Amino acid sequence: MIRNVIIALILGAGLWACSDVYTISAEYEPIVITDDISSNASIDSMISPYQRQLSATMDEVIAYAPNDFTKGRPNASLNNWATDAVFYNSIFTSTDSLDLEKVPMMCLLNVGGLRNPINKGDVTVGDIFKLMPFDNEVVWVEMPWDTQDEIIDYLKKKGGEPIAGAVLDGDTLLFPTPAEKMDTYWVLTSDYLMNGGDKMDFFEKKVSYQYTNRLMRDVMLDAAKKQDTLVFDHEPRITL
Amino acid sequence: MNRRDFLRNTALITGGSMIAPSLFAKDALGSKSALTDKVTILHTNDTHSNIDPFPDNHAKYPGRGGVSRRFEAIEAVRASEENVLLLDAGDIFQGTPYFNMFGGVLEMKLMTQLGYDAATMGNHDFDGGMDGFKSAKEYADFPFICSNYDFSNTELDGLTEPYTIFKKGKYKVGVFGVGVELDGLVPDNKYGETQYLDPVEMATNYAAKLKEEGCDLIICLSHLGYTYEDKERMSDVNLARKTKDIHLIIGGHTHTFLDKPVEEKNADGKTVLINQVGWAGINLGRIDFYFEKAEFKQDIILIE
Repeated sequence: MIRNVIIALILGAGLWACSDVYTISAEYEPIVITDDISSNASIDSMISPYQRQLSATMDEVIAYAPNDFTKGRPNASLNNWATDAVFYNSIFTSTDSLDLEKVPMMCLLNVGGLRNPINKGDVTVGDIFKLMPFDNEVVWVEMPWDTQDEIIDYLKKKGGEPIAGAVLDGDTLLFPTPAEKMDTYWVLTSDYLMNGGDKMDFFEKKVSYQYTNRLMRDVMLDAAKKQDTLVFDHEPRITL
Repeated sequence: MNRRDFLRNTALITGGSMIAPSLFAKDALGSKSALTDKVTILHTNDTHSNIDPFPDNHAKYPGRGGVSRRFEAIEAVRASEENVLLLDAGDIFQGTPYFNMFGGVLEMKLMTQLGYDAATMGNHDFDGGMDGFKSAKEYADFPFICSNYDFSNTELDGLTEPYTIFKKGKYKVGVFGVGVELDGLVPDNKYGETQYLDPVEMATNYAAKLKEEGCDLIICLSHLGYTYEDKERMSDVNLARKTKDIHLIIGGHTHTFLDKPVEEKNADGKTVLINQVGWAGINLGRIDFYFEKAEFKQDIILIE
């Protein structure tokens, strides 16, 4: 149903030097774009080569999933797969030298950001696009050592989020490498989460951060291609 | 209710006492407004690389949108109107694999083919970096109007306009554009040395400039967002209240579906219209402005 609205609005009289003074009335009539409107052949012919190339790319099979990968809390196979993809691929493709101070201790993502399961069978480029449609970028975030409690509290409050590298054992985050206290530690996450997405407020305390210029999705595409048969890991990483 | 019925009813209700008698008397007598006394604004925002219609199993908007149909809708308006201006309020890029794969080239080609007169830049139009925007823009045969991004130390220097004046029939339509603060929203390496200028200050300056140039209608393309929980945050509503001489703000960024243009009072107490049509090209906004020579000041009427 199209609504008609009429608004009469005034132009400032008098001040309009050298031009006529008008009264303006405005009528609003939005046009709803549905299949009641036919498409246009010349526009369609402009789109179709791109459309064909797009579907060819999206339909390309890049890996095989031996099981269904689903997301969940506190633990799930898709949580593990997605965070591992970011954690491992981002370490070894980083241009930074493997300076111990800069080795990330964990990857933290969010269940909400994993938009689609990976179903058992062939995995296409399109499947990874559905899993991660957003162009979020992988970032390295340097956090003060004492922010671990806040991350623990957050994970408990949310009932779990996807993590890799570290595991949560009750009230303790167990890191993969040196356990001794340092000033800071590095977390891999997305720019979306680092910048306040999903209320991960602890990221506000970051000491420094580094964009990687790599999209989460591209990292996941690479991981899938490298693995060929996706690594199915449903071992719990979060014990609440 | 069509316009003429409305005007007739209004004339009866008000007896013509509060409003310009000439405007309504003429229509109440049934004389048709000449096409030449009218400017039709068509507008989109946040189309986000939605080229194809949504699939029929789409959870919220099954089968809606699609650039090809939008073209047909625009052409139908052009067939019956003389003075049509087609504008976009930014975030043309990002949202479907068309952008990821082709970098925005198809979006620009199609907008050119649809005959867009101008657009402003949204935050996602920086997603391919400024070089990405620049290469896609080569396929755009319409201006990008950015009044509060200073690109002078960047590769976009000289590629956008601070304002544009369109001559539509006997009317001059002035258009400028304000964008959202990029810091914290867009990775800084994607906007480089772009300087963000205060949108209120720039809007004030360019609206005054366009008024001086004798524009009959002044339109602000905005990617600030309609309004926010934090009422202090810069938005179209705040921009409308803090500026003057703007008649219409065509907004974007917040993906707001407004049922009809919202009226705000500007710093002079005059009405500013704000409109926004959601996102993804689901709707095409259409506002017809009818001009009639006036002799005295009147106040605004909004009736549904």
